[in-house]
Amino acid sequence: MSAFIQYTVQGLAGGGFYAMAALGLAVIFGVLGVVNFSHGACYMLGAVAAAVLLDVLHVHFWVALAVVPVLLFLVGVLMERLLIRWLLRLDPLYNFLLTFGLSLILVDLVKRRYGVSGLPYERPAGLAGQLHIGSIGLPAYSVFVWLFSLLICGIVWLLLTKTRVGMIVRASTEDAERTRALGINVGRWVTPVFGFGIALAGLAGVMAAPFRAITADMGSNFVIILFAVVVIGGLGSILGAVVAGFLVGLVEAYGQAYAPTFAQVAIFVLMAGVVLFRPAGLFGRDESA
Amino acid sequence: MRSRKQAVVVAAAVCGSLALAACGGGGPSAAGGKLSNDKVVFGLLNDQSGVYKDLSGPNSKVAIQMAIDDYKAKYGAKAVAKTIEIVTADHQNKPDIANTKAQEMYDRQNVDVILDVPTSSAALAVANVAKAKKKLFIDITAGTTELTGKSCNKYTYAWAYDTAMLAKGTGAAVVKNGGKSWSIVYPDYAFGQNMNKSFTEAVTGAGGTVQQSIPTPFPNDNFATFITKAASTNPQVIGIMAAGGDLINFVKQYNQAGMQSKAQLAVGLMFITDIHSLGVDQFAGTTFTDPWYWNFDAQNKAWADKFQAKTGTRPSFAHAGNYSAAMNYLEAVQAAGTDNADAVIKALDGKKINDVFLRNGEVRSDHRVVHDVYLAKVKTKDQVKEAWDYEQIVQTIPAADAFEPISADCKM
Amino acid sequence: MTHPLQNSTNSSRSPEPDAAGPLRDGRHSPLRWVMLAVGLIAALALPWFIYPPVAMDIAAWALFAISVDLLLGYTGLLSFGHAAFWGSSSYVTGLVAIHWGVPFPLAILGGMVFAMAIAVPIGYLSVRRTGIYFAMVTLAFGQMIYFVANQLSDLTGGENGLQALPKNFFGVSSVETDAFSFYYAAIGLILLGIWAAWRIVHSPFGRVLVAIRDNPARARALGYDVDHYKIIVFVLSAGLAGLAGGVFAISHGFTSLEELNWTTSGKVVLITVLGGIGTLWGGPLGAAIVITLEDRLASSGFEGTGIILGSIFVLIVLLFRHGIWGTARDLLQRRRDARKGPVD
Repeated sequence: MSAFIQYTVQGLAGGGFYAMAALGLAVIFGVLGVVNFSHGACYMLGAVAAAVLLDVLHVHFWVALAVVPVLLFLVGVLMERLLIRWLLRLDPLYNFLLTFGLSLILVDLVKRRYGVSGLPYERPAGLAGQLHIGSIGLPAYSVFVWLFSLLICGIVWLLLTKTRVGMIVRASTEDAERTRALGINVGRWVTPVFGFGIALAGLAGVMAAPFRAITADMGSNFVIILFAVVVIGGLGSILGAVVAGFLVGLVEAYGQAYAPTFAQVAIFVLMAGVVLFRPAGLFGRDESA
Repeated sequence: MRSRKQAVVVAAAVCGSLALAACGGGGPSAAGGKLSNDKVVFGLLNDQSGVYKDLSGPNSKVAIQMAIDDYKAKYGAKAVAKTIEIVTADHQNKPDIANTKAQEMYDRQNVDVILDVPTSSAALAVANVAKAKKKLFIDITAGTTELTGKSCNKYTYAWAYDTAMLAKGTGAAVVKNGGKSWSIVYPDYAFGQNMNKSFTEAVTGAGGTVQQSIPTPFPNDNFATFITKAASTNPQVIGIMAAGGDLINFVKQYNQAGMQSKAQLAVGLMFITDIHSLGVDQFAGTTFTDPWYWNFDAQNKAWADKFQAKTGTRPSFAHAGNYSAAMNYLEAVQAAGTDNADAVIKALDGKKINDVFLRNGEVRSDHRVVHDVYLAKVKTKDQVKEAWDYEQIVQTIPAADAFEPISADCKM
Repeated sequence: MTHPLQNSTNSSRSPEPDAAGPLRDGRHSPLRWVMLAVGLIAALALPWFIYPPVAMDIAAWALFAISVDLLLGYTGLLSFGHAAFWGSSSYVTGLVAIHWGVPFPLAILGGMVFAMAIAVPIGYLSVRRTGIYFAMVTLAFGQMIYFVANQLSDLTGGENGLQALPKNFFGVSSVETDAFSFYYAAIGLILLGIWAAWRIVHSPFGRVLVAIRDNPARARALGYDVDHYKIIVFVLSAGLAGLAGGVFAISHGFTSLEELNWTTSGKVVLITVLGGIGTLWGGPLGAAIVITLEDRLASSGFEGTGIILGSIFVLIVLLFRHGIWGTARDLLQRRRDARKGPVD
């Protein structure tokens, strides 16, 4: 039983990365209609930024948690202004391909500058060791990741429901044309929202830095799982992205614990099932072809 | 008519681009005297931009050049090989690129011997090309036992290490030093499965017990559940068979879970570059087997100093291995008086070698080069006196104990 | 609603050239025959100019790209998991060649059939979504096949790959040992595949595909079972990708998990878009450029292959959306229209 609880916490922690990043992906898609293939590369950039800041400026983890998302926000703004916006009027496939090309460039740039062996990153002070709840020992870091990602999702949820920007984002996600028809200037929010989505990916990257190998390729497999997450959750649904993120994290953890050989395939089998029985995703709206 | 004009333009464009593409093709090789093309050409085929770039990469060319310089200094005017060149190519750890580049090296660039080739699938592909072209291939950095097993052939040598030796080394030695109960975590693919099997045999053979063998997906970046599982039986040693990026993920999470104080960590396959990238303190106390360590004795250090003067960094076993292979190849050419592959093979087979890389080395009949290897423990941060001074050699594992006997699968 | 790979009315670009070519005027123009002849000559002459194994790679990737273009340019579906068919066929081809010792065209046929067989369930599930969803779903299924192949390492050799595949060609020994001769033995299969794609595109079936690409609702209203057509073209495309993958495997004498990885799916999409979508010439052109570029970069020791390919790709998607061939064709078309004068 205690093992099960440990696996659950670990699954929720792993799911936290997916949830945060998928949230960014969903917000970007909702407002811009862009499926950002470079989301994994941005996650990687967040982790690399944290490592570089630590190495060069001795910026510690807790400060990096605040600083790196801001940096990634700027990166996102640049991406949108220089590249993405030219293709926004076209089918989303174009921006999908553009961001794919972008991810190749970003990964290779990091490889050239920092090599491939991975960047070192110290364990953050205060998060080492285990928390003991009763007889169960849980790695403190897993608990932190789980709770922090829940917190971030909660904050974003508040932003979406309580602020004007959030209302515009949700309205645009549900029905972009009607939102514009109502006279709301969605256009001026496009750039900041894109930047915000990228910042979320970068935040997930910083969280991953003490936990995962910081290599140029760390985002490549991550983005594919992320796609499975949003297909399961429903691409147009922000809630769906978060729920599916945690769900996939749990499936991964339980799969690894109880059926390791199938763990990797399990997520795709789940996705296949969702596509078969609920093509719009668990929370998605049914879209016509 | 316009369409005919357009047709001519298109045809000219196609022919023009074909002609452009032809630039860079090589001519046929002239029949040489004693040396083919009157020179010896080394082909360095490895990963110049990816995960193994630091382990061998472009610096291996420096190592080979050092061998060439030492050979020339040794034999002076009596050297059989007066003109020696090195060509390099990056196979990006992709076996199809390695396959094509190897063919090109032998066919068009007059390469006499290919060196290095990390990544097992690439090495096996190159071994097949070497067999087909009847030219030499000396593998340094790939560890698959198949090179001297199912895929062995007379033109292929395995110079530095293989995965079976790692198991025999670390597994048996750690048990003898007191680590008797093990949990093994291994990635569920051919390499990991073989390592698990070899380690289980080595550990139980030395009198230890393997409490669990836990498969993990490959590749994988989240090991939390597997660490929990491995720790659940309270073993003295946890053996991790993941390599490269997965290993770093594992070690980070292992330390995160506070396991460093609970069990000894033994790593199946690890390179000094892994320690460098993750940081000594994360790996402190970890045990693994290294085919060669630069700071082991004065002879190694002297060579490492020369290497550092040229490259600014310390050599890994791969660099030293490339040096040794190149040097011994040239010695064989010297002894045979020609670079003809079959003659060189005759000069190499059965040879006993003691150089900076190989101690008590011998070229076995299956073309596996056996030599002393070293059980290493990663130092703690305060024990490290200079950059790359990460290893404390606990024990030398003699050649006779280190490697598996000749495989029955190898039919040359 | 915007449709894949067509410009919306806001754009200032000229309308998409009718990709169903000669059907427009009902006869084959002389230019088309000349281009076909030049293409055939180029295909047959290639190993004289380019190192034969690389030439074979170009030919195989060209067919692979054409198979992707069949879906992308003509049906409007971006498959980002096509390596599943290229790669799985390469393994089955290899296994058949090793275990049954048949001449390689038969082994490749076996690989093709397998690729088409797995395309049926994958296609059935994938076409339930369109556009970007289709791309993501196929990407995910492609990775699934990759992981399954990794698991079956006893059969596939796992990460060591499947090695030592024989080049059996009815006992002709020069084909087995010489890459130059092998090229001529194998190019026929590639040309057959390209011809099959050409026939698919220039047929009533092909016209329905274009109709589906341009306006699926209208196609459905006209009584066509859109999903049915999509699955059929998906399976045909998988077969062509399988044919290309089989040739690739035999040419190299081995295959590995790399051929199933999503990066291979990404590479063929890059080649297709670079060359030009909605045109059967785009595939060979894109393949020639990318493969020779990669080959040169590998020898030169240059480290940034991804930067170069990625940048080219970004430029193409931003500025030359119809790819190199398509853009060239547009320029020629525009010059032809300009000389014709205002529309009468």
